[in-house]
Parts: sequence; structure tokens; C-alpha cells
Amino acid sequence: MRDERMRNVLVTGGSKGLGLGIAIKLASQGFRVMVLARRDTEALAAARVSATPGEVHFRPFDLADTDAIAGIVKSLHTEFGPFYGLVNNAGLGTGGLLSAMPNHEIERLIRLNVTAPMTVTKYVVRSMMAGGAKDGGRIVNISSVVAATGYSGLSVYSATKSSLVGFTKALGRELGPLGITVNSVAPGFIATDMTHGLTEPQRIAIDRRSALKRMAEVSDIAAAVGYLFSEDGRNITATVMTVDAGGTA
Amino acid sequence: MTIKEAILAQMQLVAERQKKTLAPLTDDLKLLESGLDSLCLAILVAALDDTLDIDPFSAGTSKFPVTLGEFVQLYESHAG
Ligand SMILES: NC(=O)c1ccc[n+]([C@@H]2O[C@H](COP(=O)([O-])OP(=O)(O)OC[C@H]3O[C@@H](n4cnc5c(N)ncnc54)[C@H](OP(=O)(O)O)[C@@H]3O)[C@@H](O)[C@H]2O)c1
Repeated sequence: MRDERMRNVLVTGGSKGLGLGIAIKLASQGFRVMVLARRDTEALAAARVSATPGEVHFRPFDLADTDAIAGIVKSLHTEFGPFYGLVNNAGLGTGGLLSAMPNHEIERLIRLNVTAPMTVTKYVVRSMMAGGAKDGGRIVNISSVVAATGYSGLSVYSATKSSLVGFTKALGRELGPLGITVNSVAPGFIATDMTHGLTEPQRIAIDRRSALKRMAEVSDIAAAVGYLFSEDGRNITATVMTVDAGGTA
Repeated sequence: MTIKEAILAQMQLVAERQKKTLAPLTDDLKLLESGLDSLCLAILVAALDDTLDIDPFSAGTSKFPVTLGEFVQLYESHAG
């Protein structure tokens, strides 16, 4: 029997990296977390077993298939009931100098990092509305520090991440009357699959530039999202929380 | 329940939850004068998608109907 009181949360790209850390954190706060990613991972399977007091569920889904997003969100709504929260975390980190980037790569980045999260949000918000949004709701969009600072070789990626900031601010106003908060979390460089291409000298340079002389970690991002999802976070909306160990200070 | 009845019932429910006062629901009532603001109308569309499984606006309808009668007709034409 599913517990009607458990609040449903969708975390895209929750199979590894930041998304997995966020999914585990939210489950530890008592949420029923649904993860979408293309492939299951051992770490996510382990999280499904050990999640407490919340739950973790997985559905394989390719977010690039934006026409199918309505269907997957609706089927989760039918199975588990209305959503309380959403973390738009899945993203591609493809780099390359703009002048040398194939056009289809530009399109692919925009589709996965912009169109997909906006479309997912549309249908999750509908689910929240259909459920009456009685106790409000939470939406967190994972942006990046490069949205504000820029980074050579990441122009398209940076543009997709700043688009999420504009989206966050406008949607925060739109959904405010329903008590739904909408925020961005902007991580600095975090060691995950996405950044495994960083060389040791690059890593050292990042450490040295940051105020705390180190990098933020997956658990720091998860904690920030966990805070925004908690009761304590209820009066924070339409803003960006930077978590980068002072890298952009 | 007919589609029209379902729509009227949802309008009552949304108005109640969002603490709005509904105007008398006649066919020629302009939706924006119904007492529901645009956010309430968005909630109405989401609730109807949930209860009737009809969503004319994802199916390509580009113009939001002006009157309640047109709104009901739009849902009736997408039913089935
Ligand atoms: N790591 C950093 O330094 C850093 C810094 C700032 C911002 N961010 C942002 O944080 C988010 C997570 O990054 P990460 O470092 O954790 O990346 P990651 O380790 O590469 O994980 C990405 C996640 O997204 C999923 N995903 C990728 N493509 C997908 C698709 N087409 N459909 C469904 N799911 C898909 C992946 O699963 P599958 O591959 O199985 O689909 C995986 O679960 C991203 O939005 C990224 O831009 C990261």
C-alpha cells in the first residue's frame, strides 16, 4: 500500500553524480523520490533498497524525447498521486569552442538542458495543480556558476544554464500564489562523471581560486536542495543559491 | 456526469480552493469575468486533464476561449 502522506518528488538524472546525491538526501528527509534517467546504476539500485524513511523509485526514460515527457509524468501522477516537488538536474556538459561545435550538438544541448526541464516542469506543475497544491510545492533547477561567470569552451552550456535562472525567476512569480517555491542551485565544479575530463592542473587551479581552497562536493549540493525542500526553506523563492566553496567569490 | 457538468464542478472547486467568488455560470459569461484569474484557469485546465483526460491545449489549440460556452464546446470537441 502506498503511503498517501508521503510527498512525491521527481529528480531527473538521479542515477549518478549530483542527482543521485540529491535523490538520497530527499529520501532521507521522508520524500518519495522518483528518478528518471536512461540507465539504472548499481548505486541507484542500492539507494532504492536502503532509502529511509522515504522511498526511491526508478523509471528508465530519455529526456531528449520531449514529446514523451507528458506521458511519463502523467503515468507517475496516476500511479503515485500528485507531485509536491521537482529537481531538474539531468543535463549534458558537452564542451567545445563555439566556432568548432557541430550544429546538432548545439541543438542537443539546448534540448536536454532547456527544452526538457521546461517541459518536465510544465507537466509536474499541472500535477501539483491537479492535486490542489494544498501545502505548496518545491521546484529546484540545477544551474551552474558558469551561468553567471562564463567559461571558455562552455558557451552553449553556459547559455543553457543561465536560461534556467530566468526560468526560475519568472516561474517563481507565476507559482508564488500557490505557495510553490522555485529556485536555482548553482554548483561550482564538482567531481562527477560530467567533470572527469578535468586535468589535475585544472583541478588544482580551481581549488586555489576558491575562497575555501577546495571544491564543493555532491553532498553540499544535496544539502542545499534538501534545505530548499524543507519547511525552513518555505520563504526562499525565485533566487539562485551558489554552492562553490567560494570559487566565484 | 457530462463534460459541461464536470467543468462547472471543477470551476466551483478551484474557486473555493483559491478563495474566489464565482459569477453566475452562463454560456456567454466571459471567462476572465468569471471571478477566476489566469492562474485559476491554468489550475482548471490541469484539473480537467486529470479528471477527464482531455487537454485541448496540448493537442494544438492555440487560442484560449473567451466565453464559458466556447470553453465547454472546446472540451466537448476533444472528448472521446
Ligand atoms: N559536476 C559539476 O561540476 C557541475 C557543475 C555545475 C552544474 N552541474 C549540473 O549538475 C547536473 C548534474 O550533473 P552531474 O555532474 O551529476 O552529471 P552526471 O554525473 O553526468 O549525471 C547526469 C545525470 O543525468 C542523466 N541524463 C543524462 N542524459 C540524459 C537523458 N537524455 N535522459 C535522461 N537522463 C539523462 C544521467 O543518466 P543517463 O546517462 O543514464 O541518462 C545521469 O543520471 C547537470 O545539470 C549539470 O549541468 C554540474
